Amino acid sequence: MARKSDLLQGTLDMLVLRVLSRGELHGWGITQKLEQLSRRALQVDEGTLYPALYRMEDRGWIEAEWKTTENNRRAKYYALTRAGRKQLEIEQEDWDRMSAIIAQVLQSA
Amino acid sequence: MTLFRRLRHLLRRRQSEADMAEEMRFHLDQRGADYAADGLPAEEARCAARRKFGNLDSIQEQAREAHGWGWLERWRQDLRFAVRHLVKSPAFALLAVLTLALGIGANTAMFALLDNFMLKKLPYRDGDQLEAIYRATAQNPEGSIAPADFRELEREPGAYGGIGAYAYADTSLAEPGQPAEMPRAIRVTANFFGLLGVQPELGRDFRSGEDQPGSDRVILISHRYWQNRFGARPDIVGHTVRVNSLPHEIVGVLPVSFDDWRHLGWCDVFQPLALTPEQSADRRTAMLRVVGRRADRFSPAEAGASIARLGARLAADYPEANAGSTWRAAGLNAAAMGSTGGSLLAMLVGLSGFVLLIACSNLANLLLARTMTRAREFAVRSALGASRTQLLRPLAAESLLLALAGGAAALLVAQWVARWLNLRVSSDDGVTVALALDWRVFGWTLLAALFTALAFGLAPALFALRLNVNDTLKSGARGATGGRGHQRFRQVLIVAQFALAMVLLAGAALFIRGLDELNHRGAGWDSTRLVTGTVVLPAAGYPDAARITAFHRLAVERLQALPGVASAGISSFTPFYPWYDARRYVVAGRELPERGREPVALVNSVSPGYFTTVGTRLVAGRTFTDRDTPAAPRVYIISQTTARGLFGDENPLGRRIAPAGAGTFQWGEVVGVAVDVKSIVPDPGPVTYQLYQPMAQEPRARIEIAVRAAGVAPAALLDAIRTTMTGLDPDLPLRRLAPAEAGIDRANFRLRVLRDLLAAFAVLGLALASLGVYGVIARTMAQRTAEFAIRLALGAGVRDVTRLVLTAGVKLALLGSAIGLLGAFGVARLLAAVFPGMRLDTLPALLGTTLLLTGVALLACWLPARRAGRVDPMLALRSE
Repeated sequence: MARKSDLLQGTLDMLVLRVLSRGELHGWGITQKLEQLSRRALQVDEGTLYPALYRMEDRGWIEAEWKTTENNRRAKYYALTRAGRKQLEIEQEDWDRMSAIIAQVLQSA
Repeated sequence: MTLFRRLRHLLRRRQSEADMAEEMRFHLDQRGADYAADGLPAEEARCAARRKFGNLDSIQEQAREAHGWGWLERWRQDLRFAVRHLVKSPAFALLAVLTLALGIGANTAMFALLDNFMLKKLPYRDGDQLEAIYRATAQNPEGSIAPADFRELEREPGAYGGIGAYAYADTSLAEPGQPAEMPRAIRVTANFFGLLGVQPELGRDFRSGEDQPGSDRVILISHRYWQNRFGARPDIVGHTVRVNSLPHEIVGVLPVSFDDWRHLGWCDVFQPLALTPEQSADRRTAMLRVVGRRADRFSPAEAGASIARLGARLAADYPEANAGSTWRAAGLNAAAMGSTGGSLLAMLVGLSGFVLLIACSNLANLLLARTMTRAREFAVRSALGASRTQLLRPLAAESLLLALAGGAAALLVAQWVARWLNLRVSSDDGVTVALALDWRVFGWTLLAALFTALAFGLAPALFALRLNVNDTLKSGARGATGGRGHQRFRQVLIVAQFALAMVLLAGAALFIRGLDELNHRGAGWDSTRLVTGTVVLPAAGYPDAARITAFHRLAVERLQALPGVASAGISSFTPFYPWYDARRYVVAGRELPERGREPVALVNSVSPGYFTTVGTRLVAGRTFTDRDTPAAPRVYIISQTTARGLFGDENPLGRRIAPAGAGTFQWGEVVGVAVDVKSIVPDPGPVTYQLYQPMAQEPRARIEIAVRAAGVAPAALLDAIRTTMTGLDPDLPLRRLAPAEAGIDRANFRLRVLRDLLAAFAVLGLALASLGVYGVIARTMAQRTAEFAIRLALGAGVRDVTRLVLTAGVKLALLGSAIGLLGAFGVARLLAAVFPGMRLDTLPALLGTTLLLTGVALLACWLPARRAGRVDPMLALRSE
């Protein structure tokens, strides 16, 4: 199994939101997409993904709907809500600022 | 929004669960398919997917948490577990719920009393501004006010925006064709209801000017009286009834909320207080109760100061009437309960709290014992990684469940107690005091239940947590004996229980003895075979002394002639209850004391037959006769104490005394000396002199008739007496006509209720405490069986082992009783303060209580201890 980087605490939400911002997906699809986008460097643990999905649904950032897949199976698709989009922006800004600060510290030290 | 979503999840939980399961299955299938596509065989691919996914249940659990209802889910599980657990041991559950029900129930009922009597405000507008104004004297700190003084207050109201007054009245009410009756009536100033802020429900209030003589033939009636006496007839306003033999118009009905007995008592008829000019000028007859509404801009302290100033001025201006008196004001809401009611109720709530505490510590003991038998289970779970909270939660759930069940059962108990109290606390006319259980009471019960659950459910649980996992697991299947810490905890509980039980028992014992003494001291009279009743002659039919005297003479004559009657008499007061007519006297041939400092005596006007009828013995001289008429010289009979006080060792017979006052003295001769008479009322007041005068020389419109039966039961005479009196005047009602014993029994009924409550608390407390010590000793016994077996095997006698167990329990009980003695002294002091007239023999009561408590503890310990001696060493040791 490829070496897996642990997701930084709190970044999973942002990544999921980012993935969903391109269109609705089911849970499996989200894991696939994340692996694909990170070129297999990131592996999402189901044990953290689903609770995260439910939590974000509870907060109203995403909403779920049952739909049929291409293979004719019922799956729960998650889509970003308006609040979710806003949240993504906020988290992205935070992340950018944070990483800039960290980068600066690492360079100047 | 979030809440809405959560609620939806909660309501559609089954659906959510199914969704979650399906979603995860989909995920698994997809991954399985993925692996299969990589070339794994189908079965292996599925297993790999499962492995990769991890623990499905735990993920679902975490997911549920994310929905925000995780805590609810956990509690549901814990509660379900607790229910199952409790159902498995029904005896324990029943015992616990019963204990709690009794403890919380007693407490809730007492709180309901407090709530109904004290916490509820009087039904008046802005009641906090209303104040009762008293003229305090040495005899009575809540004394009434004389009309002339009241007029001065009206002219000079100081801090008060409005001043009103009322006086209790003896009023008869009659309608054509129906027997007259004596409703409870008061006379009020015309502004009275306006002052209180009470609007009539029907009709109108009194108009100003209707409290003038001549224009006062109007009455208001209470809602209750309208319902009960007039069948709630809608045309009641304008209806005319005969009041004191004169036609009066009913102009209004007061609202139902005014049927509150706390301030005015049970009052049904309200007349205008029409004072004649000479009454208004009267400064001696303190007959008015005064209420004032404080103006907004004054504080209670300022108002009190203005009242005190007026009182001081009146005392200085009119010393012969007011010397030594002061005026004061008190908030009406507080004054309505009286000075003793509050501390009594607080004491009852406190004592019922003791019962609850005893019940609680019993519960704690039970739970602790139960938790200890599960110590191994806790140890295993904790070894497997359960957190403290996870261990605590089921225990907390269990005690919460018990407390709630106990609370619910307690409400039943409280309701039952309230019904019993309603029956007992009802007034002597059978009007019940509605003891409603309202939301405040429910809240109190809930609080008490939760407090119990928290304080006494969690304590054992915390002990369970402190157990050492290793030791418990190693100690084998026996179950933990428990460390020194919680052994100590139990002992402390037992000591506390006995201390509390001691206080309860001592309080009850003191009170029971005190009340018994009170009801039976009855000195100076004989109530057996005696019938008494009250008659008031209305001024309209009996305008002068001659007419009244004629009626008295005729009534006594007729009553005496009835078959089965030994003798009959009339008087202004009965000997059983306090006399209210206090007057000052001077002695002939002595230097006159300073005005207002003459000796005071309580005066009773009696007919010649009075002394033989009520059984008051004369020790010297003669009784009154028919020759002691208004025309004859004045004569007096004095009590022994009066004779000693006024004349010392000299012979009082033939000495002359006169009522103190202005002008010439009207001397009268002392012709007899009677024994002292003691009423049944706890507080006799400071006046100890008693004086009798002939009824004929000062005829009274209000009389007490007394009839002594000969050879028949007194109750059998009631009808004949009633017929005789109605035969004399159909408009005359007879109030409280009953055998004297029955009346006396009822007179102290509040005290009796108090006694019964205290006794019930004591019995309950004692039962719970002995149950507690029994349980603890029995448990210790079971745990120490092996030790006893060894002792027995090594040659200890059965008696040694029994004594070992016995002393352990009795020591605790004795220590508890000793501590409780301190509290018992406190209760005795409190009772003595509330009932100054009651003799409370503290020492014998406390001694008896200690003995009883020790005896019960001995018995409760002896039952399990007996088993200790019967341990078969071989059996017990082999079973290890």
